[in-house]
Amino acid sequence: MPSYGNGPNSGARTRDLALTCLTLLLAFGTMYLPQSTQERVSTLLQEGLRPFTALQGLVSEAGARRVRIEALQAELDSLSKMMSTLRAVTDENRTLRKLLDLEEELGYDYRPATISRPGTPGSESTFLVNVGTRDGVQASAPVLSPAGLVGVIRDARSSNAVGIDWTHPDFRSSAMLADGSVYGMVESRRGDFREDDRLILNGIPYHQEVGLGQVVLTSGLGGVFPRGIAIGTVLGIAEEEGAWRKAYVLDPAAAPGAATHVLVFVRESSDSVNLSDSAGEYR
Amino acid sequence: MWVGVLVLFTLHFVLHIGLSYGREAPDLLTLGLLIAARELSLGRAAGLGFVTGLLEDAMSLLAFGANSIAMTLVATGGSVTRDLFVGDSRLFFPAYVFAGKWTRDLIHWLAMGPEVRQPFIEQAVVEGSLGAIYVAGIAVVFSIVVSTWSQR
Repeated sequence: MPSYGNGPNSGARTRDLALTCLTLLLAFGTMYLPQSTQERVSTLLQEGLRPFTALQGLVSEAGARRVRIEALQAELDSLSKMMSTLRAVTDENRTLRKLLDLEEELGYDYRPATISRPGTPGSESTFLVNVGTRDGVQASAPVLSPAGLVGVIRDARSSNAVGIDWTHPDFRSSAMLADGSVYGMVESRRGDFREDDRLILNGIPYHQEVGLGQVVLTSGLGGVFPRGIAIGTVLGIAEEEGAWRKAYVLDPAAAPGAATHVLVFVRESSDSVNLSDSAGEYR
Repeated sequence: MWVGVLVLFTLHFVLHIGLSYGREAPDLLTLGLLIAARELSLGRAAGLGFVTGLLEDAMSLLAFGANSIAMTLVATGGSVTRDLFVGDSRLFFPAYVFAGKWTRDLIHWLAMGPEVRQPFIEQAVVEGSLGAIYVAGIAVVFSIVVSTWSQR
């Protein structure tokens, strides 16, 4: 039984209480540290957890290697088909630009990365990628999977970066229908349960018609996401406000939980996306 | 007992970070902390809670500090229960772990901030209760394993 008052152990008890108060102050203080200090502390702590993050990397790599050869072959075939069409379009675009005396369109440079998700409390809707500032990755860089937009980088460090996927409440992207007829804003809307989380195409003028099943892409407005990345397809009307605005529920193109290998866009570059062959046929 | 706590801590990080399990894996860090807190003085329990909370915060940049606060408070509370309950009853241990885990999730939810956290009903009531039952069940298995092992 602990002693209280002026007993022989009261000094120890006082020291114990002082230590407890100090620890509690430290714990509350961590929340109010400047973000740069929080990141430094976090990086330091991650060094301590390196064996576990290394294991995570190994598990992710092993999971990615299990992809079937047939699936890869099918992807290669569809890419080859797409490339054959795009070459003609690129050539036509280049010729037209030359005729109009326009500068060469800038492409995007990207880094392939492995995505991993810590399962600790507070890390929901966030992910880690194994590329960082030394690879040219910066905050606000879009993250893509072969299916479409996965999320965006929130914080880039030297060797890795933390991102949020489209299920995060802070996620926003300017969007348009694939034919460019309707523009709006895509946002994540939380349901009462995680399974009710939805992607919503919002801010659509009431008089504009959006058909079910139409593909929604990033519009490139705002400068965060490049134009033309698949976000999802229209499932139905989510809400109507008066007679001036409509919002639509989307079926997301990319499932963030299923993404293992992604592309992280790093910056615009004039030579990164070149659909011509290695001999420079179209230069 | 301390070996068991160390195993629980290690297993927690293997499951949650190494193998990326989320809610599917039990919160063994809180279980280990609750067990250790009853054996430690108030100050040491708070210190251990702070360190384990910081380790969890390493991976949650958007709510940095929430785990530290939750774990420190729960460890402090766990150490205080030593003076309040003897804990001889068979029901005490799972009930203590259930209450500790549920309180930890509630404090974490409160500390996270409105822009990051899930709705209260989902995260604190439903997920919190299910997670607490899950960990309490693991606690029962853990106590059986430890008592069998110590009798040998």
